[in-house]
Amino acid sequence: MSAANASLRLLGSEMHLIVGRRRNQAGILVLAAVPILIAVALKYSSPGHGRGTGFIASATSNGIFVALSALTIELALFLPLAVAVLSGDAIAGEANTGTLRYLLTVPVQRTRLLVIKYISLVIGALIGVVVVTVAGIIAGGIFFGLGPVTLLSGDQITLVAALGRVALAVLYITACLAGLAAIGLFVSTLTEQPIAAMITVTIISTAMWILDGISQLDWIHPWLPVHYWPSFADLFRNPMFFDSMRQGLLVTLGYIAVFATLAWARFAQKDITS
Amino acid sequence: MAISGLVTHDGGVTVFDRNPRLRWAVPATLVALIVGGTLVGSVAASADSGLPPLTAQELLVQAQAPNATSVSGTVEATADLGLPELPMSSSRGANPTAMLSGTNTARVWSDGAGGSRVALLADADEYDIVRNGQDVWAYSNADRTVEHYVLPDRDAPTDIPANVSLPSTPQEAATQALAAIDSSTAVTTSGVDRVAGRDVYELILTPKPSDTLVAKVVIAMDGATFVPLRVQVYSTQMQEPAFEIGFTSVDFGAVDPALFAFTPPAGATVTEHPAGSMTKPTTDAPNGPKPTVVGTGWSTVAIMTVPADALAGTDSAPASDSGAQAASMLQALPTTSGAWGSGKVLEGTLFTAILTDDGRLAIGAVSPTTLGAALAAS
Repeated sequence: MSAANASLRLLGSEMHLIVGRRRNQAGILVLAAVPILIAVALKYSSPGHGRGTGFIASATSNGIFVALSALTIELALFLPLAVAVLSGDAIAGEANTGTLRYLLTVPVQRTRLLVIKYISLVIGALIGVVVVTVAGIIAGGIFFGLGPVTLLSGDQITLVAALGRVALAVLYITACLAGLAAIGLFVSTLTEQPIAAMITVTIISTAMWILDGISQLDWIHPWLPVHYWPSFADLFRNPMFFDSMRQGLLVTLGYIAVFATLAWARFAQKDITS
Repeated sequence: MAISGLVTHDGGVTVFDRNPRLRWAVPATLVALIVGGTLVGSVAASADSGLPPLTAQELLVQAQAPNATSVSGTVEATADLGLPELPMSSSRGANPTAMLSGTNTARVWSDGAGGSRVALLADADEYDIVRNGQDVWAYSNADRTVEHYVLPDRDAPTDIPANVSLPSTPQEAATQALAAIDSSTAVTTSGVDRVAGRDVYELILTPKPSDTLVAKVVIAMDGATFVPLRVQVYSTQMQEPAFEIGFTSVDFGAVDPALFAFTPPAGATVTEHPAGSMTKPTTDAPNGPKPTVVGTGWSTVAIMTVPADALAGTDSAPASDSGAQAASMLQALPTTSGAWGSGKVLEGTLFTAILTDDGRLAIGAVSPTTLGAALAAS
């Protein structure tokens, strides 16, 4: 299938572009810096400040929890920001620099181009999540060591089993970010200003977090994808608890279906002027 | 992808290529399907079932001997007790006091024979109560502490830590509610409902006295096993249940016994409470005097004397942060007065409490007026 080969080649060059951009490389460093900061702060802070709640409370007992704390913290802004930057570049950025026109002169349908752009966004999100996780495990391992992991339920599992659960968490969070990437892809087709697209996507994810934080609006919470993002923590209960994550994946799937088709409808009519 | 299959097979021209505007119909249809599907789903879930009707008497008998031993599932508890927001430092993370307000989720497992586990869930936090025969472990992840209780030899299945004030499982809640039945209560049934995807019978307990704040207690029992799946306590003050605890998903299959084998994790602080140390709780009156009881049944009012030193913090500089918070909370409560004197009143949806200026505390599931009358009578 030459069409499949062409698609793969396009995806390859797309990934090459994403990883090659200086801005994205700097972003990866920022993502990796957060878990390192957490580990250093916990190591050198006086113990009198209390243990905190959530994964942070367990971070000093096992390095794995540094990675999980970093994921929890970065889910609020840094990881959505990374998706926003990538999706701003995806269509709006290329339209802005004029390269989108060249892409469309080679015989590739707009729909196929859009699908490849979306897949590259999801792979970009996966790279971001993996960077945070790996940096967290390394930093946490250096400062606090790695070993058998005490789950939230008080039961202990081996380090290998815990790393398996961390891998599941990485996949779940990536799936969650894929929902935001679909929104980002649509926003990116609406404008030729990449910065405008990035800001819009960041505002959307932040606004969802704010709405999710207002308890009076609890009727809207089940419809907000971000409501389910921190549920990856349920993987660290005994036994693993899937109710919330299953719901989260369903809601995310709904957002992907709606916004991917919105992007598809919009992109078909978009005038590529420059 | 289905979408690319519709429109991108080489050379083929689809309706979406001829008229690209039609593409907008696809996301619009998807939104309609998702929203519509959710609404239809919730309507279908409340459709009637084919359970044969049962009288309250028959239902009560069945409830005494449920047809299932093992029960596990997810439980959701919602409490709207009308309490002021408690800024207690001890209430961070998952813990039993958090069950007093808002919506909380728990996972429960029980093998019906001395093995049970309740896990109270919070964001990236958990509080577990594990019972394995005579051993009861309470594990707080936030505090990294383990309380180990050893139950006395005689079987006391629900005698879990004294600080667990509200029922943690529907079974426990139903047992407590059934124990309250006497001549003061009208017991009826109302058709059927669905809880956790199962058909249930509903047993309705309506207090006969008119001066209680409890409007009714509704217990939903599984149509096949007669295991209580949901308990709702309605207040006379509001439409929605003031307290509700029920399964959102339930399974009657065997439970993995490994769940009941709890070993305190490394690094946790373990407090031992050997058998015999768990005597009847006397925390109500630390200085000895037993509370005076006025009235019976649903209108029961308990009156106790609060030790003077416990109130001292409210006037002078309190010793701790939580003391200061409690004091300021008490000051914020409205003042009330009557033939009995004057004091601060806390009006909840299911109970009222009055702390008089002369240090008496009256509490009951009644209105402030009835409570005042009880104070005057004592």
